[in-house]
Amino acid sequence: MNRSQVPRSTTPASLAPGESSSVLRHRAEQEFAHELEELARVDDRPKPPNWRLSPLAARTYLLGGKLENGFEVSPKYIGNARLIEIAIATLATDRALLLFGLPGTAKSWVSEHLAAAISGDSALLIQGTAGLDETALRYGWNYARLLAEGPSLDALVPSPMMRAMQTGKLARVEEFTRISSEVQDTLITILSEKTLPIPELDTTVQAQKGFNIIATANNRDKGVNELSSALMRRFNTVVLPVPETLEAEIEIVERRVDQLGRALELPAEKPALQEIRRIVTVFRELREGITLDGKTKLKSPSGTLSTAEAISVANNGMAMAAYYGDGVVRAGDFAAGITGSIIKDPVHDRVVWLEYLQTVVKERDGWKDLYRACREVL
Amino acid sequence: MGVHVFGIRHHGPGCARSLVGALRILRPDIVLIEGPPDADDIVTLLSKDSMKPPVALLLYPPDCPQRAVFYPLAVFSPEWQALRYAQEQHIPARFMDLPQSHRLALESEETNAGEQSPSQDRTPHNPDAAQDSANGLSGEASRIDLQDDPLGVLSLLAGYSDRELWWEQQVEQRQDPSGLFEAIMEAMIELRAHATVSLQHEAQREASMRQTIRATQKEGFDKIAVICGAWHAPVLANFSSSKADAALLKGLPKTKVIATWIPWTYSRLASRSGYGAGVTSPGWYHHLWASPDRAPVRWAIYAARLLRGEDLDASSAAVIETVRLADALAALRALPMPGLQEMNEALLAVLCGGDPGPLRLIRDRLEVGDQLGTVPDETPTVPLQRDLEAQQRRLRLPPTSEIKTLDLDLRKDKDRARSRLLHQLQHLGIPWGQPQPVSRKSGTFHELWQLRWQVEFVVALIEASMWGNTVESAASAAVQSRADQAQHLAELTALVDSAVLAGLPAAIDHVLNRLQAQAAVSADVQHLMDALPALARVARYGDVRQTPTGHVVPILDGLFERIVIGLPGACASLDEEAAGRMMNRIGSVQESVDLLDNAHQRQAWQQVLQQLLANDSTAGLIRGRCCRLLLEQRVIDAQELQSQARLQLSPAVPPLQAAAWIEGLLFGSGLMLLHQDPLWNALDGWLGGLAAEAFIELLPVLRRAFAGFQPPERRSMTEKVKRLTAGICQRAETSGVNAPSSAAPETLGVDRERADRVLPVLAQVLGVKLVGHPNHGK
Repeated sequence: MNRSQVPRSTTPASLAPGESSSVLRHRAEQEFAHELEELARVDDRPKPPNWRLSPLAARTYLLGGKLENGFEVSPKYIGNARLIEIAIATLATDRALLLFGLPGTAKSWVSEHLAAAISGDSALLIQGTAGLDETALRYGWNYARLLAEGPSLDALVPSPMMRAMQTGKLARVEEFTRISSEVQDTLITILSEKTLPIPELDTTVQAQKGFNIIATANNRDKGVNELSSALMRRFNTVVLPVPETLEAEIEIVERRVDQLGRALELPAEKPALQEIRRIVTVFRELREGITLDGKTKLKSPSGTLSTAEAISVANNGMAMAAYYGDGVVRAGDFAAGITGSIIKDPVHDRVVWLEYLQTVVKERDGWKDLYRACREVL
Repeated sequence: MGVHVFGIRHHGPGCARSLVGALRILRPDIVLIEGPPDADDIVTLLSKDSMKPPVALLLYPPDCPQRAVFYPLAVFSPEWQALRYAQEQHIPARFMDLPQSHRLALESEETNAGEQSPSQDRTPHNPDAAQDSANGLSGEASRIDLQDDPLGVLSLLAGYSDRELWWEQQVEQRQDPSGLFEAIMEAMIELRAHATVSLQHEAQREASMRQTIRATQKEGFDKIAVICGAWHAPVLANFSSSKADAALLKGLPKTKVIATWIPWTYSRLASRSGYGAGVTSPGWYHHLWASPDRAPVRWAIYAARLLRGEDLDASSAAVIETVRLADALAALRALPMPGLQEMNEALLAVLCGGDPGPLRLIRDRLEVGDQLGTVPDETPTVPLQRDLEAQQRRLRLPPTSEIKTLDLDLRKDKDRARSRLLHQLQHLGIPWGQPQPVSRKSGTFHELWQLRWQVEFVVALIEASMWGNTVESAASAAVQSRADQAQHLAELTALVDSAVLAGLPAAIDHVLNRLQAQAAVSADVQHLMDALPALARVARYGDVRQTPTGHVVPILDGLFERIVIGLPGACASLDEEAAGRMMNRIGSVQESVDLLDNAHQRQAWQQVLQQLLANDSTAGLIRGRCCRLLLEQRVIDAQELQSQARLQLSPAVPPLQAAAWIEGLLFGSGLMLLHQDPLWNALDGWLGGLAAEAFIELLPVLRRAFAGFQPPERRSMTEKVKRLTAGICQRAETSGVNAPSSAAPETLGVDRERADRVLPVLAQVLGVKLVGHPNHGK
């Protein structure tokens, strides 16, 4: 892969004023503020009401590209462009969007960037958990005021959902299927009638144009609450797949490791492409249960071995190299990380990993160092 | 004046529509079409009402029908529309390509040359030629691919990654056809100026097209409409000297070619079915052709109706949202209207809820479709095909491309005739019907078939016509020839079996003669045993089908005698695997004996089985099986069984062999174990007496023996175990008689000595007298 093709995207210098650069992780609209600004400046296409960018500009923001004035937009999602187009078109038709997929297939990442591109605000976020109650999707009360002054709009604590409705922005619901079914169904009225009734005050909040919901859910979760068909009907579903090709996956890992390394200010050099290729190869082979050359059948471990985990292994290796090594990432630096991410079940996965090491890694040309490093850890 | 060239894409509905419009304006007095002139004679058949696309032109050399070439045409093919137009306007329509009589001849010359000099590389365009002719009209795209893909270059220049998509959007989806063909022509002139030099056979084809145009001009036609693949358009529009072309076409080899129309299907037209680059979505194209206005809306509704038909949720609200999303996607991609991809993506996201399963259904049923064309009766065919069509009409079995199930009652004359026909076609390599297993209750008089007509059967019919001119005589000849080549007895008997099913008396006689000759020299008992069941079926059931099977019985008797003589020897010293196979064979011979119901044979067979049982060198598995078979026929009784069991399970017999005996004995059904208490006890005693190591070693074999049983059988076994052990304990308590099996209390986990100590007190409490207790006397 030609590194020069990959645009250098952001530096913390482009942060919105007033934001401290000591923040661990910046929100998408902060980190890529100058890209959004530039896109908005040249965007002359019709925008749906209350959208910051036109659908086409939003597409460019997500998928990257070169603007007419020569400005390079970095790709945020590497993969099937058509999926992003479906997602944006869905939001443009004011249908809610459900991003479905295995853990670590960039669902939340896409959702955050869609919200950043379309509403300029990715913070209206509801994290779905089993313990979530209705107030998180509707509104709560400031009980001190409620007791002192009685029910009033001032005593009401709006949820991110309600604020999104009032301001005509995108609300994000993460891990949608972990929310219990009763609470999920609260969304039905919001989605079909675009209103949120407040019976205590005998009033309703009516959604402003531009309001919509992006929900994410993973389909390998245990204890998932299936969406009711009434709710499912109000969502367009986009399934995000695991990266199709080895090259695509390597690009994703490399790009993210680079970004994260800079965000965490790791002093190490970013790992060589060759090391990233090895990590991704190991992950892909174990995930698919067959070697890349299609010659050897393998057992698959119990974990999903997502791209996100590959990124974290590479990142971890970078930290190891920076703090305990000479700053150059070698097999020994990520051996522990890769072993830890594969062995989720101490018995079954250990066998899988050992077999893989003995039958594949040991035999492969130039992989001896990885084999030795991993055997030391085990 | 003169020649108007229309460059088209084969099977492009947009092209077809634009072409029809352009022809209406031009009003030509003759239409020339890129296609094989060998088929000029049968173009008139188009005027018949019963000619319904999809159909294909089929051209084949009569001496070698396997090399047949197809030119499929659908209603949305520009060529089809041009032919239709000509026929409506009563103007002539002709094909102008290089005749297949030359192309097939050239091709076979090249193949021969390749075979003669294998050291040399085959000419580079050879595989290309083969592919092109196999694909017919639809082969164009792939050929252009091979020539550096000029269209791909064009679409890449336009910023498309997908060449098909570019053409689709620029040409097929164009609403306003004016200037389209001029633009195509211009683009192609430019492309051809930069393309590499044409291949030899391409040059010949184009020369032939030009020559046809010249000849037409000479005949005095004024306005000539030329319809050809876009790639050829430039060289047909401007040309001068005929000398070079005549030179190119001089001295071409020639072979005899027969042309006919055959029905075609959309699934065959789709490229995935193996006929090369066709149309991936004929159903979609058909839809675009049939309902040009609001095609996306209709498409979504069709999809929803299809899903509802399969009991999947598809509400009108979802259809509305699907169309909206497709429209939004089209707008985002700056398309005039949603194409198939947009529709599919919208259907997946909304109607299918992200699940690709229902989308696959839509792909199969809507996008491809299962439409089957028809051709008029007057279409020239081989006599064999005519015979088949006559039979299909007589038996009311019209060929369809849908999958249909046919339940035949063999006692009825018509059903029997149908069954015969289907079986005969099987012999000719035309699996129109697939025999299905019949559920038990409908008995032996029923046959279940799954019917699905496939268009390539027509070719198979032409191939099969070398056997004969009627289905029956051809099938008969095919069976006889196969019998002559058969090496094994089993093959021959299977042939007898299927020839009986197909009702081919002449073939049966022939195969039986072969069989007798083979059986006499065959030394292998196993082959004889394999051959027996099929023959027995013929002898028993032949009369249901009213087939004369008198010859079978003597052969059957001969086979049986040989088996009886050879079997004991064949059963000696077999390893586990071979014993398993032998056991199955013995089982099937037993079935045949039951089927034939001949007292004499039965007696002989039982004697052999007893002989096997008594012989120590016979494998345990087989002996167990023999024991079972004899028991079922009441040759040995329960007492005999028990003594056999003791014998076979005695400690002197190696445990593995004993276990194999059990497996053979219990094979298939555990009912015997349930109802034969002596056997149960013998088994129990044997199991209880095994050493721990031997038990562990035997466990897999035992498990295998029990694995074949039905769950209810296994359940009643465990219940029996419970009942028996309970009974044993009870008897031990009340009567004080020791348990018949000393193993039972141990299995309950009772420490006998400690339990005994309690008993006197317990007896006192309950007020009963403890009699005959083993410890009582102490």
